[in-house]
Amino acid sequence: MTVRQSIAMEAGSAVEVRKLGRMFTPRKREPVVALEGISLTIPAGEVHGMLGPNGAGKTTLVKILSTVLLPTSGTARVLGHDVVEETRAVRPVIGIVFGGERGLYTRLTARQNLEYWGALYRLPSALIKQRSADLLARVGLVDRADQRVEEFSRGMKQRLHLARGLMGDAKVLFLDEPTTGMDPIAGREFRNLITELKDEGRTILLTTHDMVEAESVCDRVTLIDHGRVLATETPRTLGTLISRFQRIDVTGAPAALLAEVAALPGVSSTTPQEDGSTRIEVSEEGATAVVLRRLVDGGVTDLQTSLPSLEEVYLQTIGERGLGV
Amino acid sequence: MRAFLAGARAQLRFMTAYPDSLIPFFTAPLFTIVFMLVFKHAGRQDLTAYAAIAPVFIALWWLALFNSGWTITIERWNGTLEMLVASPSSFGAVVFGKIAATTAVGTVSFFEAWLVARLVFGTAVSIHHWGAFLLTVLATLGAMAGTAVGMAALFVLARNAVTFSNSASYPFYVLGGILVPVSLLPHWVRPLSDVVFLSWSADLLRATLRPAPIHRLWPHVGMVALLGACGYAVGLAALRVILVRVRKSGELSTT
Repeated sequence: MTVRQSIAMEAGSAVEVRKLGRMFTPRKREPVVALEGISLTIPAGEVHGMLGPNGAGKTTLVKILSTVLLPTSGTARVLGHDVVEETRAVRPVIGIVFGGERGLYTRLTARQNLEYWGALYRLPSALIKQRSADLLARVGLVDRADQRVEEFSRGMKQRLHLARGLMGDAKVLFLDEPTTGMDPIAGREFRNLITELKDEGRTILLTTHDMVEAESVCDRVTLIDHGRVLATETPRTLGTLISRFQRIDVTGAPAALLAEVAALPGVSSTTPQEDGSTRIEVSEEGATAVVLRRLVDGGVTDLQTSLPSLEEVYLQTIGERGLGV
Repeated sequence: MRAFLAGARAQLRFMTAYPDSLIPFFTAPLFTIVFMLVFKHAGRQDLTAYAAIAPVFIALWWLALFNSGWTITIERWNGTLEMLVASPSSFGAVVFGKIAATTAVGTVSFFEAWLVARLVFGTAVSIHHWGAFLLTVLATLGAMAGTAVGMAALFVLARNAVTFSNSASYPFYVLGGILVPVSLLPHWVRPLSDVVFLSWSADLLRATLRPAPIHRLWPHVGMVALLGACGYAVGLAALRVILVRVRKSGELSTT
C-alpha cells in the first residue's frame, strides 16, 4: 500500500491538537508556560507551517506530537492516535527531522546511519538496504553514502536528516527548522523535496523562521507566540488579514498633495523612498480606497499598491521583538 | 528481538568508530601483570586463578557499565536520544542489545589475560571443566548486560552518565569478590555480596580452572542467571518509569 493510499484510508485529520498546554518548571526558577491551550487541526496531506520567534512553543509542540514530551493539559492526536496513551501506534507512522548539526551519528557513514534507523523501525533487512539506497539517491547523497557524516557539510547533513526521517516511510513528518543554516541553494533544494513529499500525500508540520520557505511550500501557516496561536490561515489569506496595513507606492506626487493625503483618516505614515517615490501606509480598513481616489483626483498616475509579505504579517502580528525572547 | 539485534549491530559499528570504548583491551593485560606479580611475590601461586580471572571480570564489567553510560551520553551528544525514544523499538531492548554486543566482544580479554600469564610468567591457565566454563561465561554475559540495562536507567537521570558509570564499577569489584575473596570482607558486607551476580560468577569461573569437581554447579549458574534477569527486569521497569518522568519534566535530552 502506498503512502497516498494509506492516508486516503485514514478518516479525519492527520494531526489534531485540542487545548494543549505545556508548562516547564525549572529548578529554583519560576515556571515557564511553553504552550497555553493551543488548538490546531492539520488535514491529511497538508504542509503546515508553524511560524514564531524563538521560545514561541514550536519545538515544544513538535516534541509533544512526536511522543518525547508529555503535555501538562489538553490532548494531541496523530492519525487518530493519542500521543500520550497510544505511543506504540504513533511512533511507527511519524518521522522527526530536527534542524542543525545534531541528530546523526557523525562517526558512522550516511548509509550506516540510515540502516540503523531502518532497523529501529523494524524493517526487514532487504527493505532496509533497498530503502536506504533509494533515499540516499533521492536526497542526492548516493556518491557520499559510505563517507562518515562528520565530513559532511551542513546542507548534506540536513538532507541526510530528512532521509533518516523517511526511513520508516512516515505518513506524518515533523520538520523542526530543517533549513537552519543552509545556504540559499541547499534551502531551495530542500523545499523542492518537501513539495515532492507533499505530492506523495504525506502530512508535514514544518516549523521555521524562514518566511520565504513558509510562503513557498506551506498550504497553511500558523503564527504562534508565547505558546498561543495567533492565526492559522493560508499564507495569502494571512496577508489579507492585515490588509489594513496595505502600502501604496507613489511616484511624482506633489508635496502638497502628499501632505493632504497624510492628513486623511487612516493614513499612518508617508515615507520618502530612496528611489524618489513615497510609500504611504494605511492602518484602517477602507482607507486605501480613499487615498487612491484622492491621489488619482490629484493627477497621480504612477502608483502601486501591494499586500504585505508573510514576513511583514509575521512582524506586524507578533511585533518587532528584536532579539528578545 | 529486532530491537535487540539492531542495538547489537549498531554497537559493533560504534565500537570501531569510537575506539575509546575499547580501553579495557589495553588495561586487561596490565591488570594481569599487576595481580600475578602481587601473588607471585607473596608466595601465593595457589591464587593464580584469582589473578587470571579478575582482569577479565574488570574488563567485562567495565565494558558493560561504561557502555551503558556511554550509550546514553553519546545519544545525548549526538542529539539522537529523543529520536531513539520516539522510534517504534523498545529503548530498553536496544540498550540491552548494545551492551550484550559489547560484553560479548569483551570475552577477548580472556585470551589477553591468559596469554600474558603464559608469556610473562610462564603460568598456563587451564580450563578443567569446559562445559561449566562456557555455561558460566554465557550466564555471566547475559547477567552483565541485564544488570547494565538497570544502570542505564539511572544514567538517563544523570547529567554526566560517563563519570557516574566509571565510578559505579568499583563497588561491584569489591562486592563481587573478583580479586579479594568475599570471605575476607567484613561480615556485614557479605549479604550484599550474595545479591551481586559477579560473586557467583567469579566463584564458578575460578572453580572451572581447578581440577576438583564443581559442587552445586546448576544452582550457582541459576543464581547468576536469576540475578541477571532480575537486574534486566528491574532495569526495564525503571527505564519505563524514568522515561515517563523525563518526558514529563522535559529533561530527556538535557539531564
